[in-house]
Amino acid sequence: MNRLAQNLVLTLLGGAVVHTSALSDAYLNYVKPGFRPMLVAAGVVILLLGVLGMVQEWRRPYAGDAGRPGGHRDRRHGDQGAGDAGVGDHDAGDHDGSGGHRHGRGPAVAWLLCLPVVTVFLITPPPLGSYAAGRVTGPPPRPAAEPYRALPAGRDSTMAIGEFIGRAWTDRGRSLAGRRVVLTGFAMPAGRGGRWYLTRMQLRCCAADAFPLKVAVRGVPAPREDTWVRVTGTWVATPYEELPKGTVAPELAATAITRVPRPAEPYE
Amino acid sequence: MNDRTARYPALEPDDPVPPPTWGRRAPEAQVLPWVFVALVGFLLVGKVLLTPRLAAPALRTWATIFDAVCLQALPFLVLGVTLSAAITTFVPPSLWNRLLPRRPYAAVPVAGAAGAVLPGCECASVPVASGLMARGVTPAAALAFLLASPAINPVVLVSTAVAFPGQPMMVVARLVASLAVAVLTCWIWERLGRPGLPRTPARVPPPAGPRLPVFLAAMRHDLLHAGGFLVVGAMAAATLNVVVPRSWISAAAGVPWVSVLVLALLAVLLCLCSEADAFVAASLTAFSPTARLAFLVVGPMVDLKLIALQAGTFGRAFTVRFVPLTFALAVGVSAAVGAVML
Repeated sequence: MNRLAQNLVLTLLGGAVVHTSALSDAYLNYVKPGFRPMLVAAGVVILLLGVLGMVQEWRRPYAGDAGRPGGHRDRRHGDQGAGDAGVGDHDAGDHDGSGGHRHGRGPAVAWLLCLPVVTVFLITPPPLGSYAAGRVTGPPPRPAAEPYRALPAGRDSTMAIGEFIGRAWTDRGRSLAGRRVVLTGFAMPAGRGGRWYLTRMQLRCCAADAFPLKVAVRGVPAPREDTWVRVTGTWVATPYEELPKGTVAPELAATAITRVPRPAEPYE
Repeated sequence: MNDRTARYPALEPDDPVPPPTWGRRAPEAQVLPWVFVALVGFLLVGKVLLTPRLAAPALRTWATIFDAVCLQALPFLVLGVTLSAAITTFVPPSLWNRLLPRRPYAAVPVAGAAGAVLPGCECASVPVASGLMARGVTPAAALAFLLASPAINPVVLVSTAVAFPGQPMMVVARLVASLAVAVLTCWIWERLGRPGLPRTPARVPPPAGPRLPVFLAAMRHDLLHAGGFLVVGAMAAATLNVVVPRSWISAAAGVPWVSVLVLALLAVLLCLCSEADAFVAASLTAFSPTARLAFLVVGPMVDLKLIALQAGTFGRAFTVRFVPLTFALAVGVSAAVGAVML
């Protein structure tokens, strides 16, 4: 990998990171919102490194010996020798211990850094949806027993799905009894008759460790898979005296359902 | 005439004047704008033509997880290579030899404890450790820093405390077990390790004169190198996430020693950032605390991404010996510490 390629890869990568984090909300599909400043800083550093290198490469004076036999290759070992474009690069970093050419040539494995750029631009990965949620079969983590405030009577309370599940699991759902709540998430088939899951993925750190928060909805027909909807309804008290911890999705008897656009922040 | 032949000794009297090389740029620079235009064009055209065809849910989930791992790790990687390049360029080599005890056996615990001070995750620690070795630090001590720093730095310990509310012993056990593994591994390595391993990364001694270009060149090289291996690890993590059903894994939670091994292997496969793994461990409620401790101790020291990074930085011959040693010690020490403290 010659210097031109190195700087080109860095410029593309830095550009992709800056584009994802500073110029759009796409970073929210991958990491938590609070991570943005670090992403922007990293993207700017990588971009600057690449652009500075390209400018350097552009201004580097022509050595002027291209017409002479042998002169072209001799330059590779000079301090400025960036190597000739197009020669096969075998510096994989694994099988040569000399390392004497770190100034000119870079490791071939760095070509892989193009892959994030290509996937971000060409696949434009969406936030994790019901496909990913369906693959996580382990029990969700127990919600922390937070002291939830009482819900106002007589009007709808909008809350996160995580909070709904937390309330349903603590105090045997006393704070939810008889209250109408509004939840937003994407639809996911439940596999059993008459119900479907209103789902939202929760991130611990990034999308690699996301797990689904699910509420079983009944009373309204299931929307198409992965459609984002807002559902109004009331919690259905469970028949169990003691809730099986963390294995059962709480149920919601829905009265109204509205299609909504996908929120900019798709995770909880 | 005399003046020009002095500046361009290649000029013969019957050469055309001005010579064809005047005002020309280096061959790489000539193709530069065209390569750039071609790449941007490929991305733009591909966006129109290919994106609608790349919509399979599995592929998109894979891409989301792959990009998430890359993006999550990049800032830490940039921080790590900046630190490493700064160490290479600006810190005189004598400083390290003054700070660390001269005898390797004494230097190992000191370097391991130093890992508790520098925040950073495992992606950052590989280039930093490699920079330390290049500055003449005993390999065993640099390796102790490599193993300890991602496991026991303040950020990681705080995140562990947050993930296990009401279980302070988990934080203590993680600190004790990780430090013990780091020191033991490196002592054993110092005693039995083959000379010449790990491959000490060769560095051109920084020339006198402006330091900034040297700093930038070191940073560029390390970033490209570690970044490439980070992509390998992210690909592995995304593939495992999409291909292996997690239900298989939770089926193994019942048997105690199996669960320790399973979580240790899971930590190797998932390649989580050490600042995030405590939250994952906390969610594995089916497993015993000791198994989860093994997950927390193994993860920052051995995982696919780290193996790839280490193989690229220190050589394959080193990695095939060092990684199994670390893994075995990490599992054994976690089981012992877990039995005593948890």
